[in-house]
Amino acid sequence: MMLSDGEANELLSFLTLETRPDVKGHATEYIVGLTGNPDGCRYLRSKPDFLKALVTLTSDASIAIIKDCYHALINLSADETLHQPLLKETNILPTLLQNLLDPEYVLADRICTILSNLTRHERTCRDVFRVLQEQNIGLAKVVEIFCTEGFNKKASLHYLGPLLSNLAQLPEARHFILDKERCVIQRLLPYTQYEESTTRRGGVVGTLRNCCFDYAHHEWLLGDTVDILPHLLLPLAGPEELSEEENEGLPVDLQYLPEDKTREADPDIRKMLLETLMLFTATKVGRKIMKSKNVYPITREFHKWEKDPHVISACEKLVQVLIGDEPEEGMENLMEVEIPQDVEEKLKELDAKEQQQIENEAQESEEKNQNESPKGLER
Amino acid sequence: MAAPAQGEDSDDGMDEFMESFKTKKYKNAFNEGNWEEEFDKVPMFMKTAPEEIDPLKHPDLACIQSIIHDDDRTPEEQARNYKDEGNEYFKEKNFKKAVVSYTEGLKKNCVDLELSAILYTNRAAAHFHLGNIRSALNDATAAKKLKPDHIKAILRGAQCCIELHHYSEALQWCDEGLRLLPIDKNLQELRAKADKQKREAERDARKAKVKAKKEQNEKDALLAAIKERGIKLLKPEASQHKGSDSEDDDGDGGSSRALADLELDGISSQEATGAHVYMDEQGVLYWPVLFLYPEHEQTDFISAFCENSSFIDHLAVMFGEELPPWDTERKYRPQNLQLFFEDHEKGNLYQVDLEKPLLSVLQNQRCTVKAGTPSFIVLVSGSPFCKQFLSGKKVKRLKF
Repeated sequence: MMLSDGEANELLSFLTLETRPDVKGHATEYIVGLTGNPDGCRYLRSKPDFLKALVTLTSDASIAIIKDCYHALINLSADETLHQPLLKETNILPTLLQNLLDPEYVLADRICTILSNLTRHERTCRDVFRVLQEQNIGLAKVVEIFCTEGFNKKASLHYLGPLLSNLAQLPEARHFILDKERCVIQRLLPYTQYEESTTRRGGVVGTLRNCCFDYAHHEWLLGDTVDILPHLLLPLAGPEELSEEENEGLPVDLQYLPEDKTREADPDIRKMLLETLMLFTATKVGRKIMKSKNVYPITREFHKWEKDPHVISACEKLVQVLIGDEPEEGMENLMEVEIPQDVEEKLKELDAKEQQQIENEAQESEEKNQNESPKGLER
Repeated sequence: MAAPAQGEDSDDGMDEFMESFKTKKYKNAFNEGNWEEEFDKVPMFMKTAPEEIDPLKHPDLACIQSIIHDDDRTPEEQARNYKDEGNEYFKEKNFKKAVVSYTEGLKKNCVDLELSAILYTNRAAAHFHLGNIRSALNDATAAKKLKPDHIKAILRGAQCCIELHHYSEALQWCDEGLRLLPIDKNLQELRAKADKQKREAERDARKAKVKAKKEQNEKDALLAAIKERGIKLLKPEASQHKGSDSEDDDGDGGSSRALADLELDGISSQEATGAHVYMDEQGVLYWPVLFLYPEHEQTDFISAFCENSSFIDHLAVMFGEELPPWDTERKYRPQNLQLFFEDHEKGNLYQVDLEKPLLSVLQNQRCTVKAGTPSFIVLVSGSPFCKQFLSGKKVKRLKF
């Protein structure tokens, strides 16, 4: 059902700023339809002029046309194969980024979605970061916009969260976020408890997790300047009353939590938080600090409360390290330990088996729940 | 010195002048005794300026001052002078005077925004050191408005917010500053300080709430225990209790009012020890109890009388080895004593069986606890005073 060359040319001729709105509208509508399926996307991939036109029309006079273009671009950017064509054949990035900076720009959220899509994979992600620098915007401005409540009255900009998380894949982006001379990561921390948006929250937690792979920064992150730990634990902490003794031993933010305290609702985010905490246990100094912060009551209560098997498993791994003994000489940094090939394979096998088991159990319990009256799993 | 007449050799006049020193005494010279004092009065040699410049005492100083603040100069120059003056006072830690100077400078309303911003910022600093934190904050805000990139103003504003415990606002100031100077250490430190204190304040609030809840629960349990035992508490006169008339007082209505009464009762206890009834871990009540000795106008106060203890237990100790000094006749021995409580409503006296525990007495229908403190009248049985005291009163024995 793809267009003939003649049809394509005609369609293209309608996609200009000067074309009559009604005709143009039909054209853009058609394009949106194309982008709705993989074949259409593949077709457009080979038609750089169409891509160019779409980007140009984001400055059209008619809001309906603009919306269509964004819709199409969102769909296109969701397809990884379109990333390089979009970047190479159009000036999509400068256009989007400049509009993003405009506090009055009504469709800023759509821009965030597109950028979030484009940064999913390393290559284009790197390009986006580079263009940010070239446009003299920098990651600094993105973080600032993200952290400024009500920067854009018409757009929530929550998808800047996933954008940051994706950018944090890049060492150059992490270098900026973890800059000790600045105050960047500190501004992101409070958003781990941002109730209004799962997207924003998840984006921040993802960013933090990606940053924590750099274990050279762990001591700084766990220290007073940043103090990342409470922000990772608060979403996992609940309303359960702890004894005065237990409370006084906790970090300040976790003490005397109120009765209406709720835990993070999204299991994926909970898992990410636990994974991030786990990362800190990779080094000896990290383990020491984690143990000294006396957070065991939090993980204990969390373990009692959690129902999702995948998350429980992550929690148990963490608890084991926290209450376990120090590993022997040479094993102190688990990230640096050289695992012999055959052991590595065995471990992978075990991992896969465990994964399967978890899935089976999850399956069983689901079926069980369907048959029985609703009731939580007892443990 | 007068200008020499044209053509005259000016040196002649000078020579004559110098010659006269050899013969005439220099008038109005410093005298040897007080020349240092005199020196201090000369503006050029003054070490410190006097607090107030009285034109009569220091005409020369007043003159110099008026030159500095001469209206012929431009507003900018005048403002600048006031700024410098203020800075001098500031260095001397004379912050009050500094404020005055800066204020005068600001009155000049000069168009130099930077200068005005500096005046505001400096005045903010002076106010800060005087403890006028709100004024300081206002000035810092004004400075920032004139010059949004004035870091000193931003630092001062943030400091003021911290002093006022407005931590979120402090963070906003710091972040604003960091936007301009991302690597400024002072801003970062201040931000960290504000953040830390904010989180501590939040924790303190949570802790206080937990504590209040705990106390509330304890009070509820106490009241419930008292009620459960069927013990009646006498409420104080209604008019004294604030808000007791309004129906929609508080959410928990009756219980909190009763609690307040209990508190009021306990606190208004005559002994003013602050002691009031409490419940131990086993759920046993301990009451503050007053013993009255009308014969000698004396009292004894037991701060924690266990409800399961009997009167004789306490009396044996109180009137055991040593009798009280006021017992001149040495007759207040446990075996001689009679105890009564008063029914306030009817004015009757009820005699108490000394062997019985406090609880059973309190539970008696006729007994009401006044001011949270049960009180008992103690008399010596058969004594003249006792007979006199009891005559004319209706005395009943408690039925158990």
